Amino acid sequence: MKFEGNVLPLDRANVDTDQIIPAYLLTGISSAGLGGHLFKGLPGGPELLAAHPDAAIVVARENFGCGSSREHAAWALGGRGFRAVIAPSFARIFQENAYNNGVAPIVVDAGEIDALLAAPSLRIDLGAETLTLPDGRTIAFSLDPLRKRFLLEGGYLDFLANKRDAVRTWLASRTTT
Amino acid sequence: MSRSLFEKVWDAHVVEQLPGSNALLFVDRVVAHEITTPQGALEIETKYGDELFDKSRIVAMNDHVSPAKDTETAIQAKVLRKWAKRHEITLYDIGDNGICHVIAPERGHVEPGMTVVCGDSHTCTLGAFGAFALGIGTTVQTGAMLAGCVVLERPKVMRVRVRGRLGHGATAKDLALFVISTLTFKGATGFVIEYQGDTIDALSMDERMTLCNMAVEAGGTTAMIAPDETTFSYLRGRENQLKGDAFEANVAIWRGLRADPDATYDRELEIDASALRPMVSWGTNPGESVPLDKNVPANADAKSLTYMGLEPGVPMMSLEVDQAFIGSCTNSRLSDLRAAADVLRGRKVSIPTIITPGSQAVKRAAEREGLHDVFQDAGALWTHSSCGPCLGMSMGVVAPESRCISSSNRNFPGRMGAGGRVHLASPVVVAASAVLGRIASPEELVTLSPSTSLGINSVEGATASSKSVVK
Repeated sequence: MKFEGNVLPLDRANVDTDQIIPAYLLTGISSAGLGGHLFKGLPGGPELLAAHPDAAIVVARENFGCGSSREHAAWALGGRGFRAVIAPSFARIFQENAYNNGVAPIVVDAGEIDALLAAPSLRIDLGAETLTLPDGRTIAFSLDPLRKRFLLEGGYLDFLANKRDAVRTWLASRTTT
Repeated sequence: MSRSLFEKVWDAHVVEQLPGSNALLFVDRVVAHEITTPQGALEIETKYGDELFDKSRIVAMNDHVSPAKDTETAIQAKVLRKWAKRHEITLYDIGDNGICHVIAPERGHVEPGMTVVCGDSHTCTLGAFGAFALGIGTTVQTGAMLAGCVVLERPKVMRVRVRGRLGHGATAKDLALFVISTLTFKGATGFVIEYQGDTIDALSMDERMTLCNMAVEAGGTTAMIAPDETTFSYLRGRENQLKGDAFEANVAIWRGLRADPDATYDRELEIDASALRPMVSWGTNPGESVPLDKNVPANADAKSLTYMGLEPGVPMMSLEVDQAFIGSCTNSRLSDLRAAADVLRGRKVSIPTIITPGSQAVKRAAEREGLHDVFQDAGALWTHSSCGPCLGMSMGVVAPESRCISSSNRNFPGRMGAGGRVHLASPVVVAASAVLGRIASPEELVTLSPSTSLGINSVEGATASSKSVVK
């Protein structure tokens, strides 16, 4: 799956999920409609989004998505039209949530982030696992082989639903630790 | 093959190996609260015939904003309530509820060797029981309710061995902050922390939960502590646990849940606890913490300094605070409240101070000891149980540029309220700060009021050494 998108340059490390969407906005019972709340907890976040209204790719520094497990962070990113976050590292739970919601968590070397922050737009090929800067330079990345399928096609819950018989069989023969 | 504690629990739950280093991992217990469960419960209802894999493995509670603060949170609680009733799932609700990571073990729903998931990052708290307990997103929790398992990438294992008696004045919270400041905010990402050592052996279950609670603040998948007599004593006779011989048969199995002596680890950290001092955070993540009697670091991150309204070199104990909070899944158990009461007994707080027990059972136990009188005589607000202001949703949200000393776990920008500045510390440091109106050590109160001994001695700085081991 290939797409080109404008960059939201988020020159910060440790952007936690409270900054992506603060807890006072977690009062709903639906994953929909959270795009308007994106980055409301980030100092300068709403202004940054306003300056890049059609951005589809976040570029940030290390440990993006740390903190709370709230999937609302991935829902808000997707709801606002973001399809990828590029950073040198992600917190585990956010990374899982991103994969499950069509937002690609793309890990690149920390040394590449300056150039990516400066790029107005990027081309991303999720199938080939490459991204291309405006000057034509291409950077390879790797996605989790299983979660790539959830990213591109969705279906984490269907995948598990189809495992239920196998789980019951395993459980019937389970031995204690 | 020698195995760590984590490896033993992991191996016992792998249903199937999956591509990459992923596994289909069986889940023994799902803990479900009102903020992150309704979306998944509704999805299972609409797309999967409302069919749960095993409702007896699920336990639910309204805890984050309970009682509800507005219509939206009332609806969240109502959805959880109706769902739990429909499926006959145990639900802890208004009057008998508590913070999920406090009430789940308190009611005997967590035991050694279990896998536990909850849509809440501080689920690592429950690793204190030798369970593999981790926070997950709503979709993954929904999958666990639907199919009894999660897809998980196998984490690496880091041994953190802590030796020596905790320095007087230092608590499990200070140890947690020290570990995070040593590893940094993301230093344990991809790892399970296995805490070992005589310091850990000597900790109570409350203290072990406080320590494990903050593993996620170093990025850790979770933390684990091998079960021992302390663990078994906590569980023996508890509701939802087997009784008599059946319980003791479990104990016999649980005794095997510890790392083999020659187990190997992907990384190791050694800590001398005897030199540990009370800690306090200065910045905007828990790794940005220093000993209480130190200054804001000279090399402090500029963005953190700006948000916190600080400059390098400022003594932490000179900082005036506007509010104090004792509570949260980190430090709201009976032992935390007793420690805070020892500081506040016979004294008055000088700033707005909120004390929120971790469960209604903790609240009642505290009141049987008269702790509510100590707190209220001191001028503090004694509330019902809730997550409260820890996550800035209700019951004491911090105003912009106001400074709050808190026994909770996160000092992120906006965590306790937009623009609010949070300093993390132990309950006794929060209590002393509440009295003096600035970040303070309980030791200072001893000086001010010699009749009260708090058992605090000064100690030298703690040290840590680490090495990476390639497996």
